[in-house]
Amino acid sequence: MTPIRLVGLWMSVVSKFLNKMKIIFDNVDKNFGPITALKGVNFTIDQGEFVFISGQSGAGKSTILKLILNQIKPSSGQVTIDDIDLTLGKKEAIDNIRRQIGVIFQDYQLITDKSIEENIALSLDIISFPKDKIASKIDEVIKQVNLNSRRFLFPSQLSGGELQRASLARALAIEPKIILADEPTGNLDAENSWNLVKLLKDINQKNNTTIIMTTHNQEIIESLAKRLIEVKDGSIIFDSSDKPKKSSKKTINSKKHDHS
Amino acid sequence: MTTVNTTWHHIRRSPIQSFTALILMIFSFILISSFLVVSSGLANVLGYFETKPEITLFIKDGLDSSAIEKTKQDLSNYVGIKEVKYISKEKALEIYKQQNKDNPMLTEMVTANILPASFEVTVSDAAVLEKIYQNYATKTDVVDEIIYQKDVINSLLDWTRIIRKSGLIITITVILISFFSVASIIGMKTTNRKDEIKISRLLGASNFYVKKPFLAEGLFYGFFGSFIGSLLIFSIVILTRQSINTFFDPVEFISNNIGLYGITLLSEILFGCLIGLLASWIGVKRYIKF
Repeated sequence: MTPIRLVGLWMSVVSKFLNKMKIIFDNVDKNFGPITALKGVNFTIDQGEFVFISGQSGAGKSTILKLILNQIKPSSGQVTIDDIDLTLGKKEAIDNIRRQIGVIFQDYQLITDKSIEENIALSLDIISFPKDKIASKIDEVIKQVNLNSRRFLFPSQLSGGELQRASLARALAIEPKIILADEPTGNLDAENSWNLVKLLKDINQKNNTTIIMTTHNQEIIESLAKRLIEVKDGSIIFDSSDKPKKSSKKTINSKKHDHS
Repeated sequence: MTTVNTTWHHIRRSPIQSFTALILMIFSFILISSFLVVSSGLANVLGYFETKPEITLFIKDGLDSSAIEKTKQDLSNYVGIKEVKYISKEKALEIYKQQNKDNPMLTEMVTANILPASFEVTVSDAAVLEKIYQNYATKTDVVDEIIYQKDVINSLLDWTRIIRKSGLIITITVILISFFSVASIIGMKTTNRKDEIKISRLLGASNFYVKKPFLAEGLFYGFFGSFIGSLLIFSIVILTRQSINTFFDPVEFISNNIGLYGITLLSEILFGCLIGLLASWIGVKRYIKF
């Protein structure tokens, strides 16, 4: 094998690694009966990006996350993750993609008759996490989201903010390649909101985890200075990937300080 | 969270449904085991009668040996004959003495001459008895009297047939009832836990992963239902077999072979597991597509 061919092979391996879990929306429409939720949506999110999706209620933010999770299918167009078209992909391939996505659902989606600890254990069991390491992993994420005193309680016994953090703990536990966060600060007070955003930012930087977060919170968006996709009436009206948005106002730490 | 834990969690969360499914399975296997015990007992009773002379032809006094041999040959030619045994006057006396050995008064007064010689015919097909009876009833020059326990055998055959048929029908009906009950109970449980299934699927669980606890639950009902039901009946049968066999003496109505009960118990457990698994598979299939 010539050195040129070796370099070529190496480049293709690196390229494959870099393109891993790339999310592509190609001219995606989504209709719910007569209502158009998304129309002609195009974007690409690379591995390791931190992306905010912003827009008014009903603009189509959650629909985008549901399409990434293959919770719903597009009416037309293609959603591709890791080179797999979710509209055509085999069940096993889609299950495999889902096992690499941690989701913080807007309505928490915790199993009501399982404790917080059991909910986290379930997600670890689904990804076949080593059984002897499950307990220590639960300890780790429970501490990360500061729910240690609530770990044995059931969802009905927790407040909205605690449920949000439990949902976050479950998402973090599986060490995902992508985290989808649907209005994760919606039920949190200012301090917990900033803590959560800081945690997501750290995970994004340390683990190269893709973070896609829907939010109305302009302060958070501006302070992090990350990629922003703005949605209005089902269409993307702004994507800062072409024109990076810079924040010069305040850093995340100063925001946290302001609110505390 | 293992499948066993999740299954146990499902069972505990709807105790009435779980109890109903288990009781139905136990009841089914009580019936299946009872049916097996009664059927095997009846087979033993029939077997006993088959080993006994089923028709006895007392022959005329003074018949010469060639006529006796000719009659024996004729009887042997019927299809379905197991054995034709000639009992001479002397042999008849021996049997008589043996039967009345405790009563010397009865044996002293009897000689071989007053007892008739006879043919004892055993058959493998009960239908041939009627033919022999019909043919020899008219041969008064050869036969003096025919003893044929026609009614006893016929009614025994009828009862055996009725018990086997009705037992089989009742058992199949009960198995079907418990099968569909377990299937619908598992179906209801699946519906009750549809949110959990949906969440698990969104977290990346495969269809089989979410089905596993429900299939294991069906297996649980099948295993414990068959084990408890069969063990209950076999325990009663083993403990009371002496008195039952005394009642049916000399027939061994209940087998004394304990190993046989072990093998039957294992077979019923396997059958129970199969029913439970199939029922839960049907129940789950309606709600979670493979």
